[in-house]
Amino acid sequence: MPLIGQLALALALLVAVYSIGANLLGMRRNSPDLLLSARHALWAMCAMVTVAVAALWTGLLTSDFSLEYVASYSSVTLPIQYKIAALWGGQQGSLLFWTWLLSIFTSIAIFQNRRRNPEITPWALIVLAGVAIFFLGMLNFVTRPFDLLATVPPDGSDLNPLLQNYWMAIHPPSLYTGYVSAAVPFAFACGALITRKLDDGWIRTTRRWAIFSWFFLTLGNMFGARWAYEVLGWGGYWAWDPVENAAFMPWLVMTAYLHSVMIQERKDMLKVWNLALIGMAFMLTLFGTFLTRSGVISSVHSFTQSGLGPYFLTFLIVVVVGYTALLFSRVNDLKSPAEFESYLSREAAFLFNNLMLVGIAFAVFWGTIFPVISEAARGVKITVGPPFFNKVNGPLALGLVFLMGVGPLIAWRRTSPQTLMRTFLAPVTMGVGAGVVVFAMGLRQWYVLTALSLAAFALGTVAVEFRRGVSARRHLVHETPARALVNLVAKNNRRYGGYIIHLGVVFAFVGIVASSFFRTEVKRSVRTGQSFTIGAYEVTYLGLKGVETAHLEDLSARLVVRSGGREIATMEPAKLFYKRPQQPATRVAIRSTPLADLYVVLAGVDDKSGLATFEVFLTPLVFWLWAGGLMMAMGTVVVMWPNVRERAALAAALGRDEALDAEPVPGGD
Amino acid sequence: MPSKLRFAVGAGLIVLAIGYLITTAVRNTSEYYLTVNEVGARQAHLTGQMLRVAGRVKAGTISWDPATLTLGFAMVSPPNPDGSPLKPVTAADPAEFRVVARGEPKPDMFAAGRDVIVEGRLASDGTIEARQVLTSCPSKYIPKKAK
Repeated sequence: MPLIGQLALALALLVAVYSIGANLLGMRRNSPDLLLSARHALWAMCAMVTVAVAALWTGLLTSDFSLEYVASYSSVTLPIQYKIAALWGGQQGSLLFWTWLLSIFTSIAIFQNRRRNPEITPWALIVLAGVAIFFLGMLNFVTRPFDLLATVPPDGSDLNPLLQNYWMAIHPPSLYTGYVSAAVPFAFACGALITRKLDDGWIRTTRRWAIFSWFFLTLGNMFGARWAYEVLGWGGYWAWDPVENAAFMPWLVMTAYLHSVMIQERKDMLKVWNLALIGMAFMLTLFGTFLTRSGVISSVHSFTQSGLGPYFLTFLIVVVVGYTALLFSRVNDLKSPAEFESYLSREAAFLFNNLMLVGIAFAVFWGTIFPVISEAARGVKITVGPPFFNKVNGPLALGLVFLMGVGPLIAWRRTSPQTLMRTFLAPVTMGVGAGVVVFAMGLRQWYVLTALSLAAFALGTVAVEFRRGVSARRHLVHETPARALVNLVAKNNRRYGGYIIHLGVVFAFVGIVASSFFRTEVKRSVRTGQSFTIGAYEVTYLGLKGVETAHLEDLSARLVVRSGGREIATMEPAKLFYKRPQQPATRVAIRSTPLADLYVVLAGVDDKSGLATFEVFLTPLVFWLWAGGLMMAMGTVVVMWPNVRERAALAAALGRDEALDAEPVPGGD
Repeated sequence: MPSKLRFAVGAGLIVLAIGYLITTAVRNTSEYYLTVNEVGARQAHLTGQMLRVAGRVKAGTISWDPATLTLGFAMVSPPNPDGSPLKPVTAADPAEFRVVARGEPKPDMFAAGRDVIVEGRLASDGTIEARQVLTSCPSKYIPKKAK
């Protein structure tokens, strides 16, 4: 099996190189056969990488410890779902997994463009093959997943216990899917630049890919946050750790991109900006992999310190320099006749939203690499922690939520002050009303007051939009309100799906603000039978229970939670002692309600004194962060849903020029 | 043209505001990230400041009181900095600092000989009053390769 895997990877590298040659030669000689052969070669690459993945999975599932990878990241007693997840638990496997996704996405892109974009596609495939060659080169020569051990150990050293968790099984694949699928729009952008076909054809062709990427980046970030919340046992979900930042930055830039391409589709503006954004998004995904794999910046995540840093850095520099040069060489082809007319226009709202998103991404980037910069410039390593990120991003987040409330209601091109007053009356009233209510409830932090007002304002905007659409349908086609709502979303899925996402963002934002400002924490050591209070809850410690399996020891504490004298929950936080990498871990007990989460950690048990130490957090509204994430995901599914009108728009864009006016207007505004 | 200019001004203002936020936040929130030996070499200069210090827990120095959640230990430089990001410093004596963390549970992975990162303030008596003690993951056992 290992031999098959190794061989498959070598063949995959060869066919990838061949596909580039065939594409180049095919374009020069104008030979359809060669171009087709290049595409088949990339399908073969996908098949070969699939074989390699199957071989590694076989090794993991059959506990073949002659494989160094299996011996390092698995064990006989590891539960089967984590044996599967161990594919991305270590460096070689995760790079293989990455390459696998890339080869699958390349194959899908080939299939989608079998009759479309005949000029751009060969170049896009060359770019995708180039990226694949880098990763395959690493897998073949630098960090090989199928290396064998001289002496076969009886058991493996097991997957890191922190990774043996449900969320960890799904977080990396989601994030990787988001990372890797950004390569497709990037490749088509390169193709458009090289062939000078710089209308919005490439954007429409890859729009679904960009949204797909955004969807998985959103999920990946959310799952990661959820994992941190459930596993790390510190009561929080986001620590601005470099690796978290690495996942967050592409999400920010991709969000900016998805908004600004709408301006190009509508108004043929911001072409350079869009090309720059998709370039940045792709580079940030590479930067993310570089950060996790290089050990340049210390992080709780970089378990795999390795010599990959220089390779990734070189590749990253090649991509950055190459793409920037390409973009500059085409600047004259990217001039746009249209320009901004008024601050009171949707274009302006989108432009400022873009600046904020990219600004946040830049601040996160700066804070992440600050230790490296300060060491290079001043010889001292200076770090900035969560306070830095919160101070910078807090105000910018307010700006974004404000623009989210403004953007959907404001007209393209320009809006008269009178219309503005009329449109914004309801949302502004909601925003101010919410501020007053919260103030009357006794909250005085200016940030929280502003944040909740703006959240209500943005919510009001979405509500107004839905109400307007529904009442229009009721009057024009005489539908019942429920029917009108369903049809409204179904017929304009791109627009109303977007609003559902906005709703999710507002919920998540409120969850984040409330949980950051109002979390309370109690740390206490108690004996059996003793109680302590947190908020309105009285927590009583009843005792310990130990369970031992071949894989781990599970020591759980039993607690009863009372509120107002009534028993409302029993909670069992635990300490887990893994046997293979002799390492303790924490299993948190969480009682979640829409109002607040009660979060209990068994921090330690002292054998001498019989004291059990608990760390208890009461976090208000954090539920809404997860609910908002779910809503964002659902909204994205609505946006991605196949749509007849959009297919027509794509066909029109690709057959452009004469078909320009035939482009239907979504949403009917 | 004037509309282009107006937008350039608007965009410029936003960029300036972001730049201002970043520079002030860096000034107000940055901390030195040092090794035990580096702190030892510049102790006088660093007293009273917030620091992040990387070092190793010295065996036989750990005291832990679960009732008051007080953890005390001595922190030294790892004896063999090979392969670790820590740089040796020219100070003559290997530095050692007493660390006290109050009100925090003992981290899961805390033990003698472990590498830790301590975030806290350097008091004038040379004790680091820690706000947080982070344990690094133990380096993985790396099996020998077949050749």
